[in-house]
Amino acid sequence: MNRKIWMLINLFVLVALALTACGPAATPTQEQAADVSIRWRTRPDNQEEINVYSNISKELDGQLQGITLTYEPGGTEGANYQDQLRTEVAAGTAPDVFWIPGTDIADFATRGLILNIADLAGKTEGFDVNAFYPGPMYHLTYNPANDKSGAASGALWGLPRDVSTFALYLNMDLINEAGAPDPRELAKQGKWDWNAFLDVAQKTRALGSEIYGYGASAWWGPYGVWLNASGGGFFSPDRASCALNTPESLAGLEFQRALYQDYDVATPYGEDPEPPFRAGKVAMFQNGRWATPGVRTVEFEWDVVELPKGPQGSQGNWLFWGAYVINAKTANPEAAWKLVQALTTAETQGKVAALGANIPSRVSQEAFDAFLTFTPPANNQAFLNGLADSPATEGPLWAGSWPEYDKIMGPAIQAVLTGGKSVDDFGATICDEANKVFNK
Amino acid sequence: MTGLSKLSAQRPEATLRLLAIWRAIFSLLAAIGALAPWVGLLPGLRLWQGILLSVILGVAAVFSLVASRDILLLQHRGRTISLFVDYLGLVACLVIILQVGGVFTGIDALGDVFGRSVLFLLVAFGGYLISAAGDYFQHIPKTEKILRQAGKWVMIFGGLAFLFRANLLQGLLALAQNLANLTGVGAVIGLVIFGLALWGMWRGPSATALQAKTNHEQMLNGWLFLSPNLLGFLVFFAGPLLLSFYFSFTDSDAFNTPNWVGLQNYAKILNVTIKPLAAPDQLARDVLDIKIYDEVGRLKLGNSGVLFGAEDKLFWLALRNTLTYALFAVPLSVIPALVLANILNSKLPGMKFFRAVYFIPSIAAIVGIALVWQWLYNATVGYINYFITLGVELWNNLFNAGIVDPKIRWVSDERTALMSIIIIAAWQTMGFNTVLFLAGLQNIPGELYEAATVDGAGAWDKFWRITIPMLAPSTFYVVSTTTIQAMQVFEQVFILMNPPEGPNNSTITLVLYLYRSGFQNFAQGYASALAWVLFIVIFGLTLIQFRQQRRSSIYEN
Repeated sequence: MNRKIWMLINLFVLVALALTACGPAATPTQEQAADVSIRWRTRPDNQEEINVYSNISKELDGQLQGITLTYEPGGTEGANYQDQLRTEVAAGTAPDVFWIPGTDIADFATRGLILNIADLAGKTEGFDVNAFYPGPMYHLTYNPANDKSGAASGALWGLPRDVSTFALYLNMDLINEAGAPDPRELAKQGKWDWNAFLDVAQKTRALGSEIYGYGASAWWGPYGVWLNASGGGFFSPDRASCALNTPESLAGLEFQRALYQDYDVATPYGEDPEPPFRAGKVAMFQNGRWATPGVRTVEFEWDVVELPKGPQGSQGNWLFWGAYVINAKTANPEAAWKLVQALTTAETQGKVAALGANIPSRVSQEAFDAFLTFTPPANNQAFLNGLADSPATEGPLWAGSWPEYDKIMGPAIQAVLTGGKSVDDFGATICDEANKVFNK
Repeated sequence: MTGLSKLSAQRPEATLRLLAIWRAIFSLLAAIGALAPWVGLLPGLRLWQGILLSVILGVAAVFSLVASRDILLLQHRGRTISLFVDYLGLVACLVIILQVGGVFTGIDALGDVFGRSVLFLLVAFGGYLISAAGDYFQHIPKTEKILRQAGKWVMIFGGLAFLFRANLLQGLLALAQNLANLTGVGAVIGLVIFGLALWGMWRGPSATALQAKTNHEQMLNGWLFLSPNLLGFLVFFAGPLLLSFYFSFTDSDAFNTPNWVGLQNYAKILNVTIKPLAAPDQLARDVLDIKIYDEVGRLKLGNSGVLFGAEDKLFWLALRNTLTYALFAVPLSVIPALVLANILNSKLPGMKFFRAVYFIPSIAAIVGIALVWQWLYNATVGYINYFITLGVELWNNLFNAGIVDPKIRWVSDERTALMSIIIIAAWQTMGFNTVLFLAGLQNIPGELYEAATVDGAGAWDKFWRITIPMLAPSTFYVVSTTTIQAMQVFEQVFILMNPPEGPNNSTITLVLYLYRSGFQNFAQGYASALAWVLFIVIFGLTLIQFRQQRRSSIYEN
C-alpha cells in the first residue's frame, strides 16, 4: 500500500512539474498577449554596465508600445561573448537583437546571419545614416553585392552602439616624482610626440626596477596605433591585401619593439598591464574609454592624455565601435528595428555614456558637451581629440577573414615584441602567410 | 478487469492479429516516411537530417515487417521487435509532445514555479506522514482510522493547493493550445497507439501465446532498465559523434547547408613537405610553394638545414605543443601523486586532513584556478616573481653572489608559457591521482609486506618490488586517463593565456585549435576533421599503453 502511495506521489509530482513548466511562459496576461516579445543582448564589462542596460531595457519596454523586452547580458570569464553568440546563432536560439564588434560585421553579413535592414530604414521617417560617425557607417552600409557604401547602397546591417578611442591613462604621482614633463601640457603645446613620450617613459622607468613607463595589452588595437602613426597599417588602402611589410608599418613596429626590448620602458608584452597600473607601478597605460570605470577606483592622482603624434603628425588612433544588429531569423523584424533605433537615440546613449565607459556614436555637439561632463578624468577632451585626429576605423574584412588575419598577425607581432623575432624577419615573411586569408 | 483486458485475456490470438496488422501498417508508414525526404514531401530538411530520418525509419519498416510475420507465426522474435519499436515510438512521441507543448523551454521557469508551490508539496508529504503514523496505532482502530482519514485529506488538500499555486490549470490550457496543430495532434495520437500496442504486447496472455520464456523476460527487462542511459548515450553522444564524422567530409560553417568535400579537410591537415635548405637562414619562400605551405620549423645542420612546411601550420604546431605538454604534465602529475599516496597511506596523525587538502585543487572550478594563477604568474606584480626576487636578494646579501633577478615572464615568454600551463595542470591533477593510488595501495595485501620484512627487505625494496608491481593496474589507469586528459588540454590555456595561443603560438593546443576553427573561424567541417585526427592520436597512444601494460603486468604473467 505504502509503495503504491509513494509511486503515485512521485508520478503526480513529475507530471505536475512537467505540465506546470509551460504554465508561466505560455500564459501571459491578456494585455501582454498582444505584445511582441523581443530578446536583446550586449556585452557589458561589469555589473554596473549590466545594471545600466537592464534599466534601459525596462524603460524602453514601457516606451515601445506592443513590444515586451528581455535583456540578456552576455559573456562570462569562461564563455567568450562572441563564441557563445555564434553557437547560439548556429543553434537558432540567439536573441532577436544583439551587439557585435565592428570587426565581425562582414562575417555575420556575408553568411546571412544578420538582417539587411535597409528597406526598414528606408520606410522610417526621419532616419538618417549620417547622424552617426561616418567610419562605422561606411562598413554598416557596405553592400558586398554592388561594392557600394552609403545611404543609397541598399544595405544597412545595424547601428553603432557607441564609439571609443585610445588614450594614455596617466599616473601623475609617478610622473611628478620622476620630474618628467606633464604630457597634458605638452599636448596643449603641440609637443606631445614619440620623442616626448619616450622621454617621460624613460624618466619614470628610472624610478625603480619595478616601475614601468608604459603598459599596453596584447591585442591588435594597442600595437596597431604605432603602425598607423608611422603611416603604415594592417591592410592596403582597399583592404584586400596585407600591408604589414611596408616600410612605414615596419618603422612603427620597430619603434614599439624598441620600447620593449631596447629602452625597456614597457611592462612585458603579453602580461596584463592593468594590475601593475592599478598598483601604481605604471606611468602611462594605453587603453580605451571602457577602462575608465575601473581606473576611477585607483588611489593615486590620475588623468588621461591623447596618444603621442608619430612621424606623420598623427596619433594613429583607432575609432573603435560595435553595432546592434538584427538576427536574420527573428520573427519580428519591425519590432527589432524599433528597438535598435531606441537603443541608439541620443538619450539612451547619454545614459550609457554617463557611466563613463564609452562615447555616444551620434555626431552631435550636444553629445560632445555632455561627454565632457562625465568626469573623472578631468581631461575628457583627450578622447575627443583622438576622435578628431582622423582615426583609423576598426572594421571588418569584406574581402577576407578578419579572425584568421588577426590570428596570424597577433602571434607574429608578439614574437617581435618579446624578442623572439627581428623586425626584418617579420617583414620578410608575414605577408606570405597573411595574404592567404583574402578571397582569391 | 476492463472489457478490453478481458477480451485479450480470453482471446489472445485476436489481440495478436490486431498487433500484427498494426506492425504491417506501421511498416508501410515508416517506409513512406523513409522515402519522404527524397520525393519532396519534407522540404527544408538538411541532407544529413534526410539521411538520418531515412535510415531510422527504413530500419523500423524492415523490422516491423519481419515482426508482423513472426507474430502471425507465434514466434517470440516478433514480440521482441514489436516491444522495441513501439517503445522507441512512444518515447519519440513523448519528446515531440514535450517539445511542441513548450515544456522544454518552460523548464527555464520551473525554478520560479516550484519555489512558490513547494510548500504545499511539503503539506502533502506531511499528510502522508500523518497517514503512516496510523501504523503505530493498529491496536486502537479508532485512532488509526482517524489518522488515516486526516492524512488522506491533508494530502489531497496539499496536492490540490500545490497544483493551484503552480498554475497547473493554466499550464494544461497552454499545453492544449500548443498541441492544437498537426504535429501536436499527430504526436498525441501516436502516443496513444504506441502505448496501446506496447501494453497489448507486454501483457501476460500475449507473452504466453508467443512462447515467452524466462530468459526473454529477463532480456526485455534488462533493456528496459538500460534504455534511459542508452537512449541518452545515443542521442547526446553517439549521434553527435557520427554527425561530426559526416561534417568532417563537408565544408560546414554551422549556419548554411554544408557541401560534400570528400577527404579535402583531412588532406589539408596532413599535407606536409620537407625541403633541404642551402643555408640555415634561407627564406621559406625560396624553397616552399608559399601559396600552399607555411613554415612550421627548421632544423639547422651546420651550413645547411632542413625545413618542415605544412599546408596547415597551426595543426602541426598544436600537435607539437600538445605532445610536449603531455610528455611533461603526465609524469609531473603521476610520479608526485605516487609518492604522496605512499606518505598519506601511513598511519601518522592528521593524514585524513592532508588527503582532503591535496584533493581540493581537483574539485575547484578551473576558471577560478586559472584566474588565481594568472595573478600569481604576473611578471610585474605576481607573487611568484616577488618571492623569487626576495630569494635572490637574500642570497646576494648573504653571500655577495651578484645573481641577477631573472624576472621570469611566465605567460608572456614563449620559452616558459607552456611550462606555466604544465605546472598548473600537474598541481591540479596530482590530488585526484593521489586518491586513486591510495585506493590501489589499500588493496595490496599486508601479508606481502610482512613476508618481505621477514626476508629482510628494506623500505626501498618493498616499495620497488611489492608496491610498484602490485599497483600496476592503478598505475595503468592513472597514466592512461591522465594522458587522455592531457591530450585534451583546453580550459587552462583558454583562460590563463591572453591570447590563448600564447606568444608566437607557443600554447596553441589541438583542442584549442579545434575550438578556434569551429567557433571563431566558422569552419565546423574542418574542426570536425581535426577532432577525428585528435581521436586517432589519442586512440593510438592509449593502444600503445594497453600493449605496454599487457607486457609488463604481473597480473598478465
